[in-house]
Amino acid sequence: MFRRILIANRGEIALRILRACRTLGVEAVVAYSEADRDSLPAQLADEAICIGPADARRSYLSAPAVISAAVVTGCDAVHPGYGFLSEDETFAEVVRAHDLTFIGPPPEVLDRFASKEGTRRLLGGFGLPTIPGSDGMLRDDEHALAEAERIGYPVLIKPSAGGGGKGMRMVRTSRELESAIKICRSEAKSAFGDDSLYLEKWLDDNRHVEIQVAVDKFGAGIHLGERDCSVQRRHQKILEESPTPAMDDAARAQLAEMAVRAVVSAGYENVGTLEFLVDGSGNAYFIEINCRIQVEHPVTEMLTGIDLVALQIGIAAGEPLGMRQSDVVLDGHAIEFRINAEDPAHDFRPGAGLIERYHAPGGPGVRMDSHLYPGYEVPPYYDSLLGKLIVWGPDRKTAIARGRAALEELLVEGVTTNIEIHRALLDNETFLEGRMTTNLLDRVGGAAFLAAAEARA
Amino acid sequence: MPDAAPRRERTARIESATRQADHAGIDRLAEELLPALIAKLGTTHLGELEVREGDWHVRLRRPYGTAPGEGRRASDRAGRTQPGHDGHGHGRAAPEGGRAARASGGASGITAGSGAASASTNGTGPDEAVLDRSRAIATSPAVGIFQPGARAASGTRVRAGDSLGAVNVLGVPQDVLAPVDGVVGSTFVEAGMAVEYGQDLIRIELAALSTGSGGSSSSPGSPGESASASDG
Repeated sequence: MFRRILIANRGEIALRILRACRTLGVEAVVAYSEADRDSLPAQLADEAICIGPADARRSYLSAPAVISAAVVTGCDAVHPGYGFLSEDETFAEVVRAHDLTFIGPPPEVLDRFASKEGTRRLLGGFGLPTIPGSDGMLRDDEHALAEAERIGYPVLIKPSAGGGGKGMRMVRTSRELESAIKICRSEAKSAFGDDSLYLEKWLDDNRHVEIQVAVDKFGAGIHLGERDCSVQRRHQKILEESPTPAMDDAARAQLAEMAVRAVVSAGYENVGTLEFLVDGSGNAYFIEINCRIQVEHPVTEMLTGIDLVALQIGIAAGEPLGMRQSDVVLDGHAIEFRINAEDPAHDFRPGAGLIERYHAPGGPGVRMDSHLYPGYEVPPYYDSLLGKLIVWGPDRKTAIARGRAALEELLVEGVTTNIEIHRALLDNETFLEGRMTTNLLDRVGGAAFLAAAEARA
Repeated sequence: MPDAAPRRERTARIESATRQADHAGIDRLAEELLPALIAKLGTTHLGELEVREGDWHVRLRRPYGTAPGEGRRASDRAGRTQPGHDGHGHGRAAPEGGRAARASGGASGITAGSGAASASTNGTGPDEAVLDRSRAIATSPAVGIFQPGARAASGTRVRAGDSLGAVNVLGVPQDVLAPVDGVVGSTFVEAGMAVEYGQDLIRIELAALSTGSGGSSSSPGSPGESASASDG
């Protein structure tokens, strides 16, 4: 096991990693930008070190700053969290060159799965059903138009690098494709420094279901069930739950087993998530793999009782999984609500500012992962995630009831949050019946969704 | 400025009694109000303080780059290098006053001790930076290992932008630059020590002592006058 880990991230995930380190008896150093000097993880860490200014390019995204911080503080491993440098194979390589361990897949594994389009072909070769898509990256507009014609509209334009819905557009006609492709290229370029795009068949009324896997360096792999992330806004997840209401037990188990077989065969290592689109008939198509810990990992932790971050750190340290598939028991139902500093009534405009009051809910099956405290100033430079409320119950109905109670109790004052949208979701018939698809919110818009909920109440 | 001349005329007409009161006001300002305000600013996380009293208003602003807690970092570093840490696992030295107060109020698992400890650091750091207009500080451009250069020797005359040494980032040196013209004073960090981004490294005594510029300034203008002259 490691002696000392540098946490190269911020916000709730830095705090989550810090907690895992404490549990494992490993010292934790938090690397922070000037804007995060007062942050909770920086204050609670065994040591905190300022690595640069607020601008993430010169702090959280700067490989030299992060690695130098790890070296001078005597760390032997770097945890990148999610986003930032978490799936950057070059960063992982430089980390290793400085005799440090990157907590995640080894660089050569990251490299193998770096291209989304390449990964789709790789895992397709190991038996995963994949979504129809373009043959390689889009070379130019002409190539894009020809490929879209072959796949059949509607199609989704996707950047090869990154995630979080940036550089993504769904188009229904060739005219839309031509104008959207320019926007996607520039968005992808500015977000990920890479403007390679590819096309994917778009399924109307699709569901987003993902399988959590863990593979150790000895090639032993397990799955930890699935998560349904269908409640999204412009391709950004807002609420996640498990098990998915979209598939029956047998179909879920079959998909999970297929996923873990494919990634083990393809040489994957450490924790990871395989994302699938599920159509109205229950057919699942693989779309991409996330080679990192994910925002929504607590959903799985609530069902399995397994600390995924600790597991991730253990695998990176070269330890065996220490459990077999039969040891993984998926119990009950869990829902995660992402609490964001954004205003659903005004097109989810992001906010920042002083947290005047904060109260985290409690009770049976209620968990709050958040870096907030009263007096904390939410900086305007980073993503709007303020925390995650996760509820568990023996069944979906109980989980929803606990979710309602917890959302009622949750208090965040000083910045506008999306808490109302979650309350509205728990009153939404489509959601309650488990029939939500990825366009549930976008179809009507946040403001209309809230208004409708108010009218029902 | 077409109305500058009439304003001067009006100013000239001010009676001597008013002028005397004015001077008394300035004295009081310098002796009582300013130190109190500076101390106040030092204990908060604010960047600027403005006080209005009668016809006067005083504004204090932290000089650029002297964020609260600046003075804390050198001592912070010393605590950091100790292998162990306190029983609560908070090896990091106490945050500055404003932060500690807010954090402990937040009941977020921050020990009350950090608030108490921070009180002792309040006396130096920020206050000093605001009080003393004759000095500036060269800070670290990156996280790495500090190597002072030849010009970092105490007493050396330097120009703004001169390299005083470097912070070695994974073998790549990044210059530590003099922020102002002046004479090199004390160095806070020994050669070969780990430093973080923005950490205080070298003090520069300003070549020419300029009084009253920058941080604290009292409004010119005179009683009776300021009401009409200031429109915001």
